[in-house]
Amino acid sequence: MDLLRRFALGEIDAFETLVRQFQGDIYGWIVRIVRDQSIAEDLSVETLWRIYRARQQFRPDGNFAAWARRIATNLALDHLRRKRSEQSLLAEPAAAPPPDQLLQRETREKIQQAFRRLPAKLQVAATLALVEEQPYDEIADALETSVGAVKLRVFRAVRILRKQLNHLGLGPGVART
Amino acid sequence: MTEHDDRQIREALKQSFPPMNTELRRDLWPAVLRKLDVHVAPVPWYDWALIGLSATVFLFFPQLILVFAYHL
Repeated sequence: MDLLRRFALGEIDAFETLVRQFQGDIYGWIVRIVRDQSIAEDLSVETLWRIYRARQQFRPDGNFAAWARRIATNLALDHLRRKRSEQSLLAEPAAAPPPDQLLQRETREKIQQAFRRLPAKLQVAATLALVEEQPYDEIADALETSVGAVKLRVFRAVRILRKQLNHLGLGPGVART
Repeated sequence: MTEHDDRQIREALKQSFPPMNTELRRDLWPAVLRKLDVHVAPVPWYDWALIGLSATVFLFFPQLILVFAYHL
């Protein structure tokens, strides 16, 4: 009997094999969204646990990696919704930057601040498409939506960001700072 | 919004978010296994109630054990 069929039947050995095979992919996907290694590890464990609990819903002839990624994306989205206001999307440097980098740092912080204010769904689409440059079809699959919907979310995210950056005093030419 | 603006936003985002290390630092299987163990389905309360009731009945009417055993 093949691995996925054995997993769907609840065989723990089969699940262990799948965990070892896919844990890196799941973690890699989540860390791109939440941008925090510890949180990504916790969410990966939660994802794997949910995968095992939902094993009876998985069709053994289906794509395990895509299914796992959808579960991971939903969890990451939930996390962003919960933590949106407090989570830093970027690890801050430990030491103070040199004076000539202060302006640049301030600009980055404003951009991060504006980004954090985006609705979670737009934030995820924009992170994966613009920052991580993941293929649109993969993003759409993970978000269980169409490529067109992802493009629309990215478009809306960019439009909102532009407005917010203008509001924060970062007008045209923001990328050059 | 012009295409130029769009490009600038993309560029600004890329500069603001450094690339993440996407390599997994540890094996997650032990943590998954612990979580699975913790969430093993507990025995429902009515099973415990049934066991308690049976034990009480057998304590006061031990002859029923034979009747019970016969019907098993």
